[in-house]
Amino acid sequence: MAVLTAAGRRTSRGGRKRATRVPPVVLAFVLVPLLAEGFWVFWPALQGFYLSLTKWDGISPPQFIGLGNYREMIHDTVFHTAILDTVLWLALFGGLSAVLGLGAALLLQQERRGVGFYRAALFLPVVFSLTATALVWQAMYQPDGLINKTLSGVGLGSLTHPWLADQDTALYAVIVPALWRQIGYVMVLYLAGLKGIDPALYEAAKVDGASKWQQLRHITLPQLRSVNAVVLSVIIIDSLRSFDVVWALTRGGPYHSSELLSTYMYSTAFQSLRLGYGSALAVVIFVLAFGVIASYLVRAFKEAD
Amino acid sequence: MNTANISPTNRRQFLAGAGALGAAALMSGCVTSSSSGGSSSQSSGTVSVQSNLSSPQAKSAMENLVAAFNKRGGPKAKLNTVASETFRTQLPTYLTSANPPDLLTWYPGSVADTYAKKNLLLDVSDIWTTGELAGYSDAQKKLCTDSAGAKVFVPASYNWWGVFYKKSNFARWGVQEPTTWDEFMALCDTLKSKGVTPIGLGAGSGTAWVASAWFDYLNIRINGAQYHRDLLAGKHRFDDPEVHKVFDKWTEALPYFDPNGTALAFQDATTALLNNRTGMMLIGTFFADAAPKDQVGDLDFFRFPVIDPKVPLAEEGPTDGYFASAHTKHKDEVKQLMSWLATVEAQETYLKGSSGISIPVNPKAKDSGTPLVKKGRALIENAPDITQFFNRDSSDALQPTADTALTKFLAKPKEINSILTTWQRDAQKIWSQ
Repeated sequence: MAVLTAAGRRTSRGGRKRATRVPPVVLAFVLVPLLAEGFWVFWPALQGFYLSLTKWDGISPPQFIGLGNYREMIHDTVFHTAILDTVLWLALFGGLSAVLGLGAALLLQQERRGVGFYRAALFLPVVFSLTATALVWQAMYQPDGLINKTLSGVGLGSLTHPWLADQDTALYAVIVPALWRQIGYVMVLYLAGLKGIDPALYEAAKVDGASKWQQLRHITLPQLRSVNAVVLSVIIIDSLRSFDVVWALTRGGPYHSSELLSTYMYSTAFQSLRLGYGSALAVVIFVLAFGVIASYLVRAFKEAD
Repeated sequence: MNTANISPTNRRQFLAGAGALGAAALMSGCVTSSSSGGSSSQSSGTVSVQSNLSSPQAKSAMENLVAAFNKRGGPKAKLNTVASETFRTQLPTYLTSANPPDLLTWYPGSVADTYAKKNLLLDVSDIWTTGELAGYSDAQKKLCTDSAGAKVFVPASYNWWGVFYKKSNFARWGVQEPTTWDEFMALCDTLKSKGVTPIGLGAGSGTAWVASAWFDYLNIRINGAQYHRDLLAGKHRFDDPEVHKVFDKWTEALPYFDPNGTALAFQDATTALLNNRTGMMLIGTFFADAAPKDQVGDLDFFRFPVIDPKVPLAEEGPTDGYFASAHTKHKDEVKQLMSWLATVEAQETYLKGSSGISIPVNPKAKDSGTPLVKKGRALIENAPDITQFFNRDSSDALQPTADTALTKFLAKPKEINSILTTWQRDAQKIWSQ
């Protein structure tokens, strides 16, 4: 930075030749992407923030209303539902995918015959897009779909349910396909972490007579700390941006029972054409995601030091 | 890259180019700036047609239509088909962009008027005074006129809504088409006693809007079409006693509804009808696009039953057609294309390529001639008043409020008071936009 400033000053005073310490092409390589990034990323983001202070139907010019949208949010019951559902999603989807992903990794870490097949099978859902996954699950959740037919087939007919159309089950029914897809991904991250643990630690523990459980608690888990930071960031980001699977399956319904902040933002902005309020919701999502991740990462890296 | 190879001039050009690119991005990204009409004229006179008719049959019918227009000599048209849902959410962007598509498929009436009020639609009043458009019915002329008195729309086809059933099933069950609400309830009773689910719905899996047809019809049968339109325009409240009457009537019919009605998309619900699992279904003719050809001949429908004989019998007959962007750079060519789209030739060309269930708006154009279509055409042509559909008589923005309220009512009919209060509150937010 000091070099840059010095070079810049000299350029303004002395002319072109002396500026060669930072060749202009290098400056261009910095400035042009910055310009592009500015126009395509920062500028729309700032505009989104400005729009959140307006009332806008997408056609007429936006009308500045200050913090009106944020004030409305405080009394908006659907927004409250969406926040609660997002927290529930974060806990269930995030928590379960971390726990089950770690479990699968521990189970499949040892090189045994056929383990590759199981790993591949668990990882396979990651390959499909979430929308395609959702469509397959939608067929299974149908009133006469695979799940209800299986339940009736094994004598549990009383449990059959319109899974996606019932407000009591819709959110959980949507979490299942999202989890189904996420576990394989988290497993791969943990498998990589497990491979990085020095086998000598386990050997030493065995010599000291540590049980399997003690090895897990005192060696495996502490050694996985750096992977945990990655997994948690991935899970939090994935939770807060979860949209496709919910939209494809329930569109946040029935009557907002599976509404996440992301689906509520989309439907407010693009279905109800309340783009000002939608932008305000987007700002809230951004602040939440950024806040959670930043505070977590700062803590994680402090501990790592 | 070797820096020596770039001369100062080259660098300047490069940076200027990058700057221009950035500036262009800035302009296009500048969503809040008001777009101007743009004065540059394009050299090519090709009219771009943006179509939301993306189902296979309708899409190929549109392709035939544009090909037929291009064969005539004179101005040319180019078709761009966009998935229906994308089209709907992008429509305001299309219309407000500086370089909009010239001609767009969409709906007349309240929906077109919303855009016309913002000066986004081309005034095509002059083409309505000549050619075949001059012979269109007064009802169509009224439907295509905006609130300022200018004609902004050219209608092409319409379909109708009715209670559909299978002729063979009604014969097997020994039942007749009902005409009044009491007869309808008796019919439902009979079907239920025979172990058949009387009424299919199909308001699940993304097609919750289908439930609005029940609300529309009950409201226009109980309170009349004008009250219905006024309600959707925000001149009445959803928690008014008149609206409560609608739900009282609906509650009488609820025990006969398919319990899976809010879990199935309308396509699956019509399959249930065709597979004899449900007895009848209130739906628009578009569902027949997906029905097997051999089943279409077995389909019939009856008019939504009369509830109050004093109320004139309005029917839902949504019209489809075209409007042009006010910012089009090919005004004359667009108008030529629009006049042609209203002709017998164009409307019959479209109908031949499509599933043939819809009805041409041009009174001289022949429909596909099946008994079902003839009956549908008579239903609409003899109706004292025509409504479009919930979202077309109000706005796409209001539709989600109805979806939420109606699916909740179907699941929890006892909570109707709080449902209607919430509906009014949600609708108020849209109206005050």
